[in-house]
Amino acid sequence: MFCYRKKPPEVERIVKANDREYNEKFQYAVVWSGTVRELKNPVELKHSEDNRIHTSKYNIITFLPINLFEQFQRVANAYFLFLLILQLIPEISSLTWFTTIVPLVLVITMTAGKDATDDYFRHKSDNQVNNRQSEVLIDGKLQNEKWMNVKVGDIIKLENNQFVAADLLLLSSSEPHGLCYIETAELDGETNLKVRHALSVTSELGADISRLAKFDGTVVCEAPNNKLDKFTGVLSWKDSKHSLNNQKIILRGCVLRNTGWCFGMVIFAGPDTKLMQNSGKTKFKRTSIDRLMNTLVLWIFGFLVCLGIILAIGNSIWENQVGGQFRTSLFRNEEKKNFVFSGFLTFWSYIIVLNTVVPISLYVSMEVIRLGHSYFINWDRKMYYSGKAAPAEARTTTLNEELGQIEYVFSDKTGTLTQNIMTFKKCSINGRIYGEEYGDPVQKKEITKKKEPVDFSEKSQAERSLQFFDHSLMESIKSGDPKVHEFFRVLALCHTVMSEEDSSVRNPEGQIKLYSKGADTILFERLHPSSKDLLSLTSDHLSDFAGEGLRTLAIAYKDLDDKYFKEWHKMLEVASAAAHERDDQISQLYEEIERDLMLLGATAVEDKLQEGVIDTIASLSLANIKIWVLTGDKQETAINIGYACNMLTEDMNDVFVVAGNTVGEVREELRKAKESLPGQNHSILNAHAACGKEQQLEMASVGEEDTAPGDYALVINGHSLAHALESDVKSDLLELACLCKTVICCRVTPLQKAQVVELVKKHRNAVTLAIGDGANDVSMIKSAHIGVGISGQEGLQAVLASDYSFAQFRYLQRLLLVHGRWSYFRMCKFLRYFLYKNFAFTLVHFWYGFFCGFSAQTVYDQWFITLFNIVYTSLPVLAMGIFDQDVSDQNSMDCPQLYEPGQLNLLFNKHKFFICMAHGIYTSLALFFIPYGAFYSAAGEDGQHVADYQSFAVTMATSLVFVVSAQIALDTSYWTVINHVFIWGSIATYFCILFTTHSSDIFGMFPNQFPFVGNVWHSLTQKCVWLVILLTTVASVMPVVAFRFLKVDLYPTLTDQIRQRQKAQKKAKPVRRQRPQTRRSSSRRSGYAFAHQEGYGELITSGKNMRAKTPPPTSGLEKPLYNSTSWLENLCKKTTDTLSSFSQEKTVKL
Amino acid sequence: MKEIPEQPLSRMPDNTAMKQQKLPAHHLRFSAKLVLSIFFGTGAFCLCMGVILILSAKKTKKVEINYTKICANCAEFRENAYNFDKECTCSIPFYLPQKMEGNVYMYYKLYGFYQNLYRYIQSRSNNQLTGEDVRDVENCAPFKVSRDGTPIAPCGAIANSMFNDTIILSYKLNSSVHIRVPMLKNGLTWWTDKYVKFQNPSFNDLPSKFAGSTKPPNWPKPVYELDKSNPDNNGFLNDDFIVWMRTAAFPTFKKLYRRLYRIHHFIQGLPAGNYSFNISYNFPVTRFQGEKAVVLSIPTWCGSGGFFLGIAYTVTGALTWLASFVLMAFHLTWKRKKKEVLQERSQASSRKAENTSGQ
Repeated sequence: MFCYRKKPPEVERIVKANDREYNEKFQYAVVWSGTVRELKNPVELKHSEDNRIHTSKYNIITFLPINLFEQFQRVANAYFLFLLILQLIPEISSLTWFTTIVPLVLVITMTAGKDATDDYFRHKSDNQVNNRQSEVLIDGKLQNEKWMNVKVGDIIKLENNQFVAADLLLLSSSEPHGLCYIETAELDGETNLKVRHALSVTSELGADISRLAKFDGTVVCEAPNNKLDKFTGVLSWKDSKHSLNNQKIILRGCVLRNTGWCFGMVIFAGPDTKLMQNSGKTKFKRTSIDRLMNTLVLWIFGFLVCLGIILAIGNSIWENQVGGQFRTSLFRNEEKKNFVFSGFLTFWSYIIVLNTVVPISLYVSMEVIRLGHSYFINWDRKMYYSGKAAPAEARTTTLNEELGQIEYVFSDKTGTLTQNIMTFKKCSINGRIYGEEYGDPVQKKEITKKKEPVDFSEKSQAERSLQFFDHSLMESIKSGDPKVHEFFRVLALCHTVMSEEDSSVRNPEGQIKLYSKGADTILFERLHPSSKDLLSLTSDHLSDFAGEGLRTLAIAYKDLDDKYFKEWHKMLEVASAAAHERDDQISQLYEEIERDLMLLGATAVEDKLQEGVIDTIASLSLANIKIWVLTGDKQETAINIGYACNMLTEDMNDVFVVAGNTVGEVREELRKAKESLPGQNHSILNAHAACGKEQQLEMASVGEEDTAPGDYALVINGHSLAHALESDVKSDLLELACLCKTVICCRVTPLQKAQVVELVKKHRNAVTLAIGDGANDVSMIKSAHIGVGISGQEGLQAVLASDYSFAQFRYLQRLLLVHGRWSYFRMCKFLRYFLYKNFAFTLVHFWYGFFCGFSAQTVYDQWFITLFNIVYTSLPVLAMGIFDQDVSDQNSMDCPQLYEPGQLNLLFNKHKFFICMAHGIYTSLALFFIPYGAFYSAAGEDGQHVADYQSFAVTMATSLVFVVSAQIALDTSYWTVINHVFIWGSIATYFCILFTTHSSDIFGMFPNQFPFVGNVWHSLTQKCVWLVILLTTVASVMPVVAFRFLKVDLYPTLTDQIRQRQKAQKKAKPVRRQRPQTRRSSSRRSGYAFAHQEGYGELITSGKNMRAKTPPPTSGLEKPLYNSTSWLENLCKKTTDTLSSFSQEKTVKL
Repeated sequence: MKEIPEQPLSRMPDNTAMKQQKLPAHHLRFSAKLVLSIFFGTGAFCLCMGVILILSAKKTKKVEINYTKICANCAEFRENAYNFDKECTCSIPFYLPQKMEGNVYMYYKLYGFYQNLYRYIQSRSNNQLTGEDVRDVENCAPFKVSRDGTPIAPCGAIANSMFNDTIILSYKLNSSVHIRVPMLKNGLTWWTDKYVKFQNPSFNDLPSKFAGSTKPPNWPKPVYELDKSNPDNNGFLNDDFIVWMRTAAFPTFKKLYRRLYRIHHFIQGLPAGNYSFNISYNFPVTRFQGEKAVVLSIPTWCGSGGFFLGIAYTVTGALTWLASFVLMAFHLTWKRKKKEVLQERSQASSRKAENTSGQ
C-alpha cells in the first residue's frame, strides 16, 4: 500500500499495436496493482509493465519478515507473542522463557516451512512460465523473447500446441478466414475445441511480417476483468472501426490446436490477463465447530481472567495479612510493597502460568486431523470411479467435520443425479411423433431385445451408440419429407441439443433461412400465427415427452428475405461496433429477427439416472438429511425425476405445486398449501421443532412425529421462486419447504440456486451442502457450507469451485455417512479430550496458588510444562482424532440414523464443553489434593525428603501423565497398532525425558536450566510416591468409567447398540452377509413400477411409528429406549433388502 | 492436469489397510461383566491398601513438640535485632512412654514458612553451588552481593534464610545423669545432591577458595565454617545446608535434621524415659506468625505420611465398592426392563408386519 503510485482504476484500455512507447504511458500493470484482490503484502504490488506474473508471495529476503508478520496476524500466535512479551518483564515473569517460546517456535517454523515450500513451488512455476519462449515481432523481425518480456501492444506469433502467452486479439492465422482452434482446459476445464475468428481486415495480413510490423491499429476495450466469456472492444485501423467480441480474443492459458500458426496482438499482459484475474482466492470457509471453538476460546479467556482475578485478590490479601511480614523477614533489604500493586502483577503472572488452558497446539492439531481425514477421502477406493479413473478428492482440507453435520443437500439434477449422457429418444416433426411409444416402460426391455434397432449406419457419420427404434423415421427421411429434412438440418446446424441457439444459413438456392432451437416456452412465443395448430399439437407431444421424463427442445425456422437480412445485418454490424449499450442493442436486433418463426417440431432426449442414486437418496433421507433438487428442467421433467428417485411417492399425502406468476399468486399458493397441512394452527411451533436445532435426539424424533403427520412435497417453479425469494414471502416459503419431505425447484437460474441455499443457510441455521456438476452450479457450490463437484460431462468449473469432488452422486452417501460422520465424531472426541486434558493440566496451578502465597509458582517443572502438550500428550490424541472409529463404515452406511448426532450437534456443544471443563476441574482437584494430603509434612521411607517442591512436582507430573494416558486409553474406541505405539510410546517418552532432564550429565552442562537433577531416582524409588500416583489415577479415572458404563447401559445411543451388535457379530463368527451383493439381479421392475408400488416414505414412517408407538417406559427415567436390537435389525434389514432388490440398470427417463 | 486415460488404474488408491481405514484394531467396549469386575477388584485392592496403610501409620511412633510458645522468651529475644549475636537457649523436657525401636530421625518442622514462593525458589545459583564459580550470583536477587559489592556465597534468599537452630536431644539415664543422645550429621541428603548438585570449589583450603565472596547477611559465619571438624560436611557440602536448599512444597514442612547413631544405650533405638531437647534458638519465626517444632519419628515402609494416604485409600475403596453395587443394581433392574420392552416391541412389530402384509 505504500510502494506504488496510486492511480484511478482503469475504466478503459487503449492499446496501440507495435508501439511500446505509446503503451507504456499507461503503465497498465501498475494500475492492476492498485486493484489487487488480496492486498496481503506489498510484494505483490511489484511494479511490472510486462507479461511477468508473480504468484509467489516472498523472496529470500522478504520471506522471514513477511511470513512472520502474516503469522502473527493470527489471533492465537499473536496471543502467544503477547505472553512471551509479558514473560520478559521480570516482575511478572512466572515461567521461564522457553515454556512459551518452544511451542510457539515449533508451530511457527512448521507453518513457515509449509509456506516456504508452497512459495518455492510457486516461484518455480512462475519462473517456468515467465521464461517460456514466444516469437515476438520487434523492429520488423520475429524474435524469440521470454514471456515475461512481452509487452502490451506487441504482436506475437503462436504455433500449434503452444500455450498462449497473454490475452491476444487474433489478427490472422494459417486457417482460412482467420479461424483458429483453441482448447480452454486451463481456464474452464472444458476440453472441447473452441473456434476463434479473426476480423477479416486483419486476417488478410496473413503471415506477412512486414505488413504485420506496420499494423498500427488501436484497440479501445474494457478494463482488465475476470469475465472469461465476455469481451467488448473496438479496433480502429485505417480510419475504420471494427467491433471486437470474445470470438476475436485468445486468452492466456489456452492452447492453440489444429492451427498451424496465428498472429495476435497483446491486449492484456501478465497479471491483467483474464486467467490471472480469475486466480483470486475463493472465500474462506469455516466449519461450525471452528465457530464454536472461537466462542469457547473466548469463554476460556474469560475464565482465565476470572481465575487471574481471584488469584490476584488472593495475593493482595495474602500480602496484606501474611506475606508482607514474611517477605520482609526473607528479603530483608526490601521495602514493604503495596499489596494492590502486588496483586496486579500477580494477575499477569497467573495469566502466563494458566495460558496452557488454550494451548497453541490445539489449532495445529485440528489442522493435522483434518488433513488426515482429507487424505482418507482421497484414498478411499470405494469412492473411486473406475469408469473415469477418478478418485474422490478433498479439495479443501479444513471442512471435514462439517460433512458430518449436513442437514440440507441441494442437488443439481442433470449430470448430478443423472448421467448427463443424452440419448436421442423421440421427436415430433410436423405434428407426427417418431420413436416408439412405450405405454408401459416395463415392456421396454423385451422390445429392445426383439426389435432391430434402426440402422443409421448408412449415414457415414452416425454415432454407433445411437439406437433408435422407429423405422418410420428412416422411411420419412428416405422419402424426402422436406419438414423432416429441415428438422435434421436444424439439428445439424445447431449442433448440441442443449441450449437455445440460432443460426442463419443461406441454402444452395440462395434462400436465407433462420433456424432456431430452444426451450419451448421461449420459442413458442415467437411463432408465426400460422403455426398455431401445429403448436397445440406439438405442445401436447411435448408434455407427453416431459411426462415420460424426457428433455425436450422445440425447433423452428424462418425464411428470410434477402434484402431484409442485409439490412438487418448492417444494423447488427453497427450495433456491435457501438461503444455504449452494445449488448442491449444487439439483443434488440435479435429479438426483432426472431419473430414469426415456423414451428418444425421438437426433440426428446433421455438422460439416465446415475447408478445408485435411489439408494443414496433413500439412505440420506433416512439420515434425516433433507434433499432439495434445484434444476433448470421443466416442471414435468422435474416431478418425474422426483418420482424416479423416490423423492416423490404415491404415498405422499400431497404434492404442492407452486407456479404462480405474481407475488400475490405465489403467496396465495403457499398459504393454501400451508393450510392444507394438518395441524397447522400451531405451525410456527412445529416449524421450529422440525427445522430448528434440537438439543436432544429424543426430542427430534418426537418432533418429527408432530410435524410430519404425512409426507408432503413442494414443487416450485423458477419464476414463482423469484417472487417467493422476495421480501416477506420468503419466510412462508421456508416454513412450508421445511415441513415438506421433498422440495423440488425447477426452472431455476444459477443465481436462484445460490439464493435458495443462502435462504436456508441464513434462516434455518443449518449446515448445507450443494452438489452439482456444471458451471450453473458454481454459485450454489460456493455459497453452501460445503460444495461438492461431480467431475462429470460439463467441464470442470463445478469441481474447481468445490470443496470435495468425486465422479458419481452415489459417493455422496459414503462421503457423508462414513467420512463426514467419522470426521465429526473424531473431531468432537478430540476437542473434548483436548480441553479436558488442558483443564486438568493447568488448573492445579490454581489450587497450588492457595498454598504458595499466590506467588505464581508453577506446580510442575518448566520443562514438563513446555513439553506436555507438544510431546507427552499430542500423539495419542492425534491418533484418536485421526483413526478412531465408533462403528464400522459398513454399519454407518447400513444405519443412516447414526448420522443424526452430527446434525443435532450432540457430540460437541456448549453443554459438552462444560462437562469437559467439570471433568478437567475434578481431575485437577484429585491431582492436586491427593499428593498434597499425602505429602503434607511427610517424609520418605529413608527418612529424607519427599515433600520437597521438586519431588512434589515430579509426583504430580507423573500422575498427570498416567491419568491423561488412562483417559485417552478409555476414550480411544478403536485401538490400532498406531494407538498402541503412541499411547505407550508417550508414557515411555515421558520417562525417557524425565530421566534425561534429571540426569547429572545434563545438569553438569546447564546447572541453572535443569535443577531437578537426581529427583527421579529418589522420588520414583519411594513406595509412597507410587501409592499416591496410583490413587490419583484410580480416583480420576474410575468415576469416568462408572458414568460411561451407566450411560451406555441405561441410555444406550444408537451407536452404542450398533457397537454392541458389531461386537456380538464378531464373536459369533458366521455372520449373516451384510448387504447382500445381489444387486445386479435381474429384477426387471423399473423405476416407475417401483415408485408407484413401494416407497421409502412408507418405510420411514413405519420406522418412526415403531418408535412412537412403543409405550414409554414406566419407570421414572422416561426417555425413549433404543435398546431393542430387534427393531433396529428389522430396520437395517429392511433397508438393505429393499435396496438390494433394485435393479441397477433401472432406467429413468428424464 | 493432464489425465491419462490409458492407465485408468494408476489413479486407483492403494488397497492398504491404512489407507482404507481397515487397520486391524481392538474395539474397546466395556461389558457389564468387565466393568463390574474391574470395580470390585479395584475396590478390594484400595480397601486392603487403605487398611494396611492405616495400620502401619498407627504403628508409627512419633514425638512432635512445638517449641514456639515454650521458648517464647527466646522468640521475643530474637525479635530484637540487636541481639543477633547473642545466644538464647531453651530446654524442653518430655517423657517418652514407649521406646522407639529402629532408625529414629529427628526433624525440624516449620509452620507458615513459604519456601515455595516463586521468587524465593528462584533465588539461588546452582552454578555457584556446584563449586564451579563461587562468584556466579546470577538469579540470586536480592542477595547477590553484599553492600560493598562482594558476591555472596552461597547467594540468594534460600541460603540466606537457612534454619540455624541447634537442637540437642539428651536422655535422662537416671535422676542425675543426662547423656547426650548420639546423633549423626551425615546421610541426611540425597546422594545426587551431595555428590552432583552441591560441590565445594575444592576439597581442602576452603577459605582461600571462597576468598572474594562474603557470607549471606543473615549468617553468623561464612559457609566454610559450617562444620570445620569435617571437611565432608563443610562448605556447600554441609548436610544441613543441602537439606535446607531442597525447598519444601508447602508452607508447613519438616526437614531432616539428625538421625540417631545407634550405639550403646541406643542400639535398638530410643528407650522409653525422660528426654529433653536443648535448643539454641536462633531462627526467628514469630515475626511472620510462623511456628516451629521438633519431631522424632521412625518411618515405616511407606514413609511417615500420617493417616491421609490410608484413609484416602480406604475411602476410595469403599466408594468404588459402593459404586459397583449401584452399577450392578442398575444393570440388573434395567436388564429386566429392557427384556420386557423388547418383548413388547417385537410383538408390536410382528403385529405391524401382519397389518402391512394384510394390505
